[in-house]
Amino acid sequence: MTSTTQYIGKPFKNVDAEDKLTGATKYITDMRFDNMAWAYPIFSTVPFGAVRQIDLKAARSVPGYIDVILAERIPGENQVGVIVEDQPLLAGKTVRFIGDVIGIAVAETAAAAHRIAKLVEITYTEYEPYFSIAESESATSQFIHETNIACSHRILKGDPAAAFRKSDLIVEAEFSTGSQEHFYLEPQGCVAFPEKDGQIVVMGSLQCPYYVQKAVARALGRPLDGVRVIQAPTGGAFGGKEDVPSELGARVALAASLINRPVKMIYKRSDDIQITSKRHAFSMRYKVGVMRDGTLQAAEITLQSNAGAYATLSSVVSYRSTMQSMGPYVVPNIRVNSTAYYTNLPPAGAFRGFGSPQVAFGHERMMDLIADRLDMDPVRLRLKNVLKVDAKTITGQQLSASVGAEETIRQACRISSWETNQATGSTDGRYRYGQGIAASIYGNCLGAAGWHMDGAGVNISIQRDGTVKVAFGLAEMGQGALTVVAQMTAEALGIDHRRVVVLLTDTNSVPDSGPSVASRNVVMTGNAIRDAASKLLPILKAAAAELLGCGADDVTIGSDLATDSKTGTEVGFAELADYLYRGNQPTEMRGWWHVPQLDFDPDTGQGEAYFTYSYATHVARVQVDTLTGQVQVRGVWAAHDAGTVINPAGLEGQVEGGVAQATGWALTENILVDRGQIITSNLSTYLLPTALDAPPVETVAVEDPDPRGPWGAKGVGEPAFIPAAPAIANAISNALGVEVYELPLTPPKVLQLLEEQEPTAGMP
Amino acid sequence: MIYLDTPEYFDLEVTVNGQRHKHRVPTHLRLLDFLRDTLDLTGAKETCGEGECGACTVFLDGQTVNSCLVLAVETHGSEIITIEGLSQGGTLSDLQQAFIDEHGVQCGYCTPGIVLSATQLLREEKHPTRERIRFELAGNICRCTGYQKIFSAVANAACKHREV
Ligand code: FES
Ligand code: FES
Repeated sequence: MTSTTQYIGKPFKNVDAEDKLTGATKYITDMRFDNMAWAYPIFSTVPFGAVRQIDLKAARSVPGYIDVILAERIPGENQVGVIVEDQPLLAGKTVRFIGDVIGIAVAETAAAAHRIAKLVEITYTEYEPYFSIAESESATSQFIHETNIACSHRILKGDPAAAFRKSDLIVEAEFSTGSQEHFYLEPQGCVAFPEKDGQIVVMGSLQCPYYVQKAVARALGRPLDGVRVIQAPTGGAFGGKEDVPSELGARVALAASLINRPVKMIYKRSDDIQITSKRHAFSMRYKVGVMRDGTLQAAEITLQSNAGAYATLSSVVSYRSTMQSMGPYVVPNIRVNSTAYYTNLPPAGAFRGFGSPQVAFGHERMMDLIADRLDMDPVRLRLKNVLKVDAKTITGQQLSASVGAEETIRQACRISSWETNQATGSTDGRYRYGQGIAASIYGNCLGAAGWHMDGAGVNISIQRDGTVKVAFGLAEMGQGALTVVAQMTAEALGIDHRRVVVLLTDTNSVPDSGPSVASRNVVMTGNAIRDAASKLLPILKAAAAELLGCGADDVTIGSDLATDSKTGTEVGFAELADYLYRGNQPTEMRGWWHVPQLDFDPDTGQGEAYFTYSYATHVARVQVDTLTGQVQVRGVWAAHDAGTVINPAGLEGQVEGGVAQATGWALTENILVDRGQIITSNLSTYLLPTALDAPPVETVAVEDPDPRGPWGAKGVGEPAFIPAAPAIANAISNALGVEVYELPLTPPKVLQLLEEQEPTAGMP
Repeated sequence: MIYLDTPEYFDLEVTVNGQRHKHRVPTHLRLLDFLRDTLDLTGAKETCGEGECGACTVFLDGQTVNSCLVLAVETHGSEIITIEGLSQGGTLSDLQQAFIDEHGVQCGYCTPGIVLSATQLLREEKHPTRERIRFELAGNICRCTGYQKIFSAVANAACKHREV
């Protein structure tokens, strides 16, 4: 696949690395604007209640005070819900979590704005709050919204009841997984400034510029063209800058338009953790029926997730987790019910994997439990049931191409020497060792639930000097989007990559391209680039034919040249570009691509859930310290089918980063909450993997090209995270000889597991 | 950033990236804010503000410090090097180049701090083992890369040392 390409499939250096290495990159906190004021959110200090009174006296006395903005001054709609309209931009009467923003403090300095926000005195009538799924589920009155159910999804395929009756073995288990804080190193931040022509410009650390544009327009009661959103270099996002920047953007825009000055708002870390969205905590019940030879027959799955105070993206997270709840396996008869519950916690939103890591823990623990009960090798069990071309997923979708699931299992075993390392429960004094495997599936792009916004564009413009400017509609947030866009543009136009300049996203340059989520950049933007190139190439060829005195059909373009294939005479791209201008030819073309129409029935959960899928299998090896309960992940071996790999260096970087984040989620990242107040509100208590904790990773690409992807590519950003935590959990279970049912496996929990295991310690 | 109703002031003299500066600063001003807000040297970042992440790392008299934990007045008479001062004249250090070659940069927010910590390490130890690199970088949090390519960048720069 890659042999005929110049750039695709070759390691490509990050185009924006140099400025980041010299400190020259200006993130939003680093930017200054003339006459700029500062804003800070005033937020609820109670988890659930009604606002009785707001006293501004003390706040107004702070030197540098400019304004305190409350809900009644919103000129447009007081609504910032992305999918469900349940979230006010500024809470007027009801507050639903500690961190629910009630007003905006505006001041001359950041410190004064913080001070004002602290000094606003709010009195509440408090209601009895709901924190757990169980509490929320059992409520009979005083609901958080009209009801406590945020959304639900289902699948029904075949006849599960009959299939359970026919099964040789039925295995049941309950699992739970914890929430997770994104902890992007750059906290949330936005700036808004009014332009002379009346347009309001918002710049910020964000991953979905078009969401922000819509939110600002809505709050200010303006048409979309009155709002321009420009992405600033973004210091990590991982989903955490999908929904939240709409709130920040709309709040600073509101302040900027009211005081008619640039206004900036940067969250302090502890507030960022308290206020912003996180990963959904899940409770899961799995019941799986299987034949003696290991063939899966039936499954019944109940998923419950904690949505927090507002729905934000819960419905799409719940959709994805439902559709992927049995992973990359064939299950002919299945029923899945998934419900997200409102609670009085910070909203749960998008986080790398988007509901997939939670169900991957469920289905991969189940596979190990089943293998154990059948006394079957866990790899053989997986291979027996894995999806292949022409097989049907649990949504009844027949897979036509690019199903590398089986190969990822085989490759992960190969590179990890799985067979020869059967380290079950091996002991070395106080340490125990084990290994685990986990496979996963990931539906590319937004799927049937988000098809209405699954299109994206580029605008490629050849400059007179032969440089090529590319505007695209998705966002760079550290994952290397600018780099792959440069690489794909150079490939598509057959030019030297140094000619290509990729711009950060600006809603003025490219039409609404949907959110930069779901690992969709390579597929969407890559296909859009090919579309634009298909319009530019004939123009370039016609011009070259004139210059070379040959027929346009004889011209080949590549290696930064146009060549007459008959005579071998050449003209360089720069000369060609200049010639286009001198001939008044078009030099700028737009490209667009959308996901093919999906046929899906939400009532039965049957149909094409996503247009294609990425697959991954990870093997993890752990060392468990029986004295402290600490787990060291000694290595992860990762095999990924992301179709054709565009940038192998980028793939490895994504996988290593994803594995490290998953290691944190699996072992140490434990959000502790005391009556709605997060007490693990900074790094000294919320423990991220350090250089000593992140495991070494070996990555192998299983390239099963997808005919619908650009050059055969699929997404990889999220699949990098998904199988790692279940592989680690399976390895811990393997090391200790006990079953694990929950994440995170913090040291105290591991010690508890060891106690459980004591009575059987003498068994072989 | 701390708010005080009636701050006290101090006349600070300090050399930053080879340039002498004189500024009247509030005594409670953190070094990080002095560099970022007063001098507009924004390469040092604030991520945790409590000495845990290393994103605010700078050199203070030849030693790396977390500038969120140092008061500006404590640096009176000292010499400070920030990331902006590392590659003066526009040429990248071997270490910075190695970060590009080894793909050690993703979002970049941790990068200035990590580059300075690794620079310190390579000054102390020309050819550190991978274990030593891991250990010395344990005070710098990176959320994007999983660290492995950062270790490779430091090891790669150490190799270049050998050739000199
Ligand atoms: S900001 Fe100084 S150590 Fe984190
Ligand atoms: S590159 Fe993003 S935090 Fe390190």
